[in-house]
Amino acid sequence: MGASHSGPDTRELRELSEKTGFSVDQIENLNRRFQQLSKNKETLRREDFDKVTDLDVNPIRAQIIEAFFDKRNYSGMQTGPVEEINFEQFLTVMSHFRPLKARMTEEQIASLRKEKLQFLFNMYDIDADGKISLEDYRHLVEDLLSRNPHLGKESASVTSIADAAMLEAVTIIKGQMEPHQVYEGMTFEDFVKIWEGIDIETKMHVRFLNVETPHFCK
Amino acid sequence: SKRWCSEKMTRKKNDRPNEAPLKWEWQYVQGPYLIVVWIMVASLAKILFHLSYKVTKIVPESCLLIMLGLGLGGIVLAATNKPEYQLDPNLFFLFLLPPIVLDSGYFMPSRLFFDNFGAIMMFAVIGTVWNSFTTGFALWGIKMSGLMSDKVDAGLMDFLLFGSLISAVDPVAVLAVFEEVHVNETLFIIVFGESLLNDAVTVVLYKVFNSFVEMGTINVHPVDYFKGIASFFVVSVGGTIVGLFFAFALALISRFTKRVRIIEPLFVFLLVYLAYLTAEMLSLSSILAVTFCGLCCKKYVEANISQKSRTTVKYTMKTLASIAETIIFMFLGISAVDTSKWIWDTALVLFTLLFILVFRAIGVILQAWVLNQFRIYPLDKIDQVVMSYGGLRGAVAFALVILLNGAKVKAKDYFVATTITVVFFTVIFQGLTIKPLVKWLKVKRADQHKPTINEEIHERAFDHILAAVEDIAGQSGYHHWRDKWEHFDKRYLSQLLMRKSAYRIKDDIWDVYHKLNVRDAISYVDQGGHVLSSAKMSLASMPSRTSFSENSVTNLIRENGSGVCLDLQVIDTVRSIRDREDTVMHHVLTGNLYKPRKRFHSNYSRHFISANEQERQECEVFQRNMRRRLESFKSTKHNVYPTKSKARHKRDKSQKKKNNDANDTIPNGKPRRNISWQNPAPIAVEIESEDEENDNSETEKDEGITFVARAADEVFQERTPSSNLDVCQSPCVIPPSPTCAEKELPWKGRQGDLPACVSSETTKIVPLDMQQAWNQSISSLESLASPPITEIQLQPTLAELDEFPSPGPTPLHLARFQFPDSTLTTQHNSDDESPDSIQQQELQPLVSYERPSWLGQSASSAGTRWPVQFNRASRVSLLKNLVSGSTSNLGGQSSSSQTDL
Repeated sequence: MGASHSGPDTRELRELSEKTGFSVDQIENLNRRFQQLSKNKETLRREDFDKVTDLDVNPIRAQIIEAFFDKRNYSGMQTGPVEEINFEQFLTVMSHFRPLKARMTEEQIASLRKEKLQFLFNMYDIDADGKISLEDYRHLVEDLLSRNPHLGKESASVTSIADAAMLEAVTIIKGQMEPHQVYEGMTFEDFVKIWEGIDIETKMHVRFLNVETPHFCK
Repeated sequence: SKRWCSEKMTRKKNDRPNEAPLKWEWQYVQGPYLIVVWIMVASLAKILFHLSYKVTKIVPESCLLIMLGLGLGGIVLAATNKPEYQLDPNLFFLFLLPPIVLDSGYFMPSRLFFDNFGAIMMFAVIGTVWNSFTTGFALWGIKMSGLMSDKVDAGLMDFLLFGSLISAVDPVAVLAVFEEVHVNETLFIIVFGESLLNDAVTVVLYKVFNSFVEMGTINVHPVDYFKGIASFFVVSVGGTIVGLFFAFALALISRFTKRVRIIEPLFVFLLVYLAYLTAEMLSLSSILAVTFCGLCCKKYVEANISQKSRTTVKYTMKTLASIAETIIFMFLGISAVDTSKWIWDTALVLFTLLFILVFRAIGVILQAWVLNQFRIYPLDKIDQVVMSYGGLRGAVAFALVILLNGAKVKAKDYFVATTITVVFFTVIFQGLTIKPLVKWLKVKRADQHKPTINEEIHERAFDHILAAVEDIAGQSGYHHWRDKWEHFDKRYLSQLLMRKSAYRIKDDIWDVYHKLNVRDAISYVDQGGHVLSSAKMSLASMPSRTSFSENSVTNLIRENGSGVCLDLQVIDTVRSIRDREDTVMHHVLTGNLYKPRKRFHSNYSRHFISANEQERQECEVFQRNMRRRLESFKSTKHNVYPTKSKARHKRDKSQKKKNNDANDTIPNGKPRRNISWQNPAPIAVEIESEDEENDNSETEKDEGITFVARAADEVFQERTPSSNLDVCQSPCVIPPSPTCAEKELPWKGRQGDLPACVSSETTKIVPLDMQQAWNQSISSLESLASPPITEIQLQPTLAELDEFPSPGPTPLHLARFQFPDSTLTTQHNSDDESPDSIQQQELQPLVSYERPSWLGQSASSAGTRWPVQFNRASRVSLLKNLVSGSTSNLGGQSSSSQTDL
């Protein structure tokens, strides 16, 4: 503890640990990383993420970074982007990827699941209107396919995949639609429904967060 | 088999030349004959087992097969008084095991496998070592304590040798049982992966101890132990490298098999088998070699080979594996009858059973505890129970124990007896009880659902998100490296190993999308118009239709157009019926329209002679529709005359062009078909009408139709009949003929007949100044299903109308309206100035006239049409893939040659 010069003190660490569910060691590690990225400043800006060179090849880099600057992903009820984030916010976003605890009640798992889904939903809902519209979805698919130089450009495949996916989603949610019924986009409830088959709570986590002292701090 | 062969040879020598006309050549065929008969028996037995659902639900197939083997062995024993057949180790290792391992390696879910690689390796290596040593030492302890009979002449090395062969979890047995249990993926992959990967350990331990035993314990130097450890790495890493090498070679070869599709599947089997044999030759782990070969080559091979080859590979592999498995279990049963080979010792058997169960359980618990320190998703108690209990022993152990050298390993017969008992116990008892156990423990089962595009998208996004989070947190975890690997694979490996065409479209999401599309198309055709997996692509109900800009739609059509478009449209026209989501229509269609899908060729080469009753009925359908159309037509007729000559001129041109090259696209890059619609050239009418006519006739014959078939039809017609049609193209040339017998005129034979009729007859019905409009209306209606008949001519046949099964044909026509309608809309948007499009607009009321209100609504507003259009676009891409991806007799084959991906 106290390895970082401008890091939070022990009491703050405890508070953060309670808030985010990370262990104190993990928080310290993440704080070190935060300092490294922000060049020892209090806050982190979007440009700071450019330094993570591994991110360059990530097709949905923009959305992921944006998720860190999205007010919806902090505990408050506000929406909209922010310019810079402090360590606590950074930690809050990271905490969405924390794995399950060994013993959790059904309710806890359910709420965790919802939390994780909400995070994903926010990431996909680019325009923050509470709905994943077809446009949002297309955008996502386009980004996902952008690694493939041939598929990504071919807008036909992107749009048709996104549309088929959307349609599939609609079918799952609503069943058959009337010809003139208009579906504006997935709401969060719909989104939860789509994810019913996938146990996200066991998938959406990153191992290193569980390890007390990660060794690969760059 | 060797024995059979040698017997055959000896008997052959003794044969005397025989002059009898009917020779009894049993000796000649004996070997293969017996093999085939055995396989037959085994396969028939499988059928028998599965006759009763109740039995197979409770009893795993492997148990049944072993019991069957026991029974057959008993019969053979009773009949010949000597045990005839044995599970021959050589036969087993060289022929029976490879297909099973290949099957499991090739179809192993690679993602899952590598996600759990750590756990698998731990269980495979440490678990197996643990099991064999503990079992060996414990048995030796029992021997020392004197509980075992003195006749069991074995030292520590013998017991360790025995422990090594008895401790390995057997892939065949595990697969046979677990396949039916459906535990969750993670559990399955760990147990199964362990059973495959422990081969290296087993082989090494077995060989090392075997050599120790044969050398004699005194001669073993400490250095030999290190050699043993070193040989483990050599065997396992070497086996893996051999596998990877052949996987690479296979992928590379499959890249260049485009011209020789027929032997593509062969390469898969050849190279994998070569990998197996090479590994055996170098005394490396052959199972590892095949597993990794199958695991690693799959992605590239699947991308390279054609759809048909893929299916062939899949089925051949499954068949071979299934046969091998069946024979293994049956021969296990038969071998057990051979009492001369084994000597029973109760203590040895019981303690072995006890030890393998107990030590397996202890090992699993210990390892799971260690693993859970690292695993994010821990293995819970229930998983551990199933894993311990699922440690089945099988034929590998049996084959290994048979291979022991009886002269050196004194207690071989005891070991054989024990092994057989252990195998039987684990396969039969544990196999029988594992299902209830899994149920009782409420083990999380595998959720078996079809992949959805959403899932694929989300999981892909997920991988990237997780990798990104690891990156941001500055830690190179699993996701980070996986992401790195995928990037490398995509950049270099795939580019090297995949065909350019395959590489271009290689993408997981795309794959799922494509798969779903194909599945939908297939099920659609199979169901004769019903699409079961609901609206996967029926974008008619696509909600946000406002977002489809006109531009993008036309672009889509342009991009995807040309040759294949023909196929597409055929599907699409039919599909759009479904898109209406009118259940009534579905019923009508399935009831009356499309049933089975073969028989196309009879239609294809159908001669006009066959036009008889059915065509008459078609006449009636046509008549009814015609009359209605005529009525509505009267209201719109005025506006069409001025463009007539121009249109005809165009039409002639386009016809010539068609004669030159059926698949040519017109300069603006749009599919030919669109142009045909735009210029309401009769040729287009003909195509459609012929098409439709075929439809109808098939309807009547109840022969069914597929989009495939129809597509071919269309292509064909575009090419050939036009010359025929020229004859009767001009409306004025041919005098009105009084009957519809015209269609039987010889010059109209083959495909061109009816359509020709159409255009000539039209002139009769419609006043000259209306002809253009008339043609248009026909083309837009796309429903010239049958030889046209004037109203006057109608009269005599009207009576027959009643005979006609009522609901069928009319809806068919309704359905037909949709396509041209939608195309028109496209046309209209792409070039507004065209007088034709104006006409078409004028004709809209006519088009929608016959629709039920729900159809009319959607037809009347352009906005609502877009989804259909869009759907089509996606169809195009689907079909492109379909066409390029298979050598099937897709109709678009000829037409798609230009657009081959």
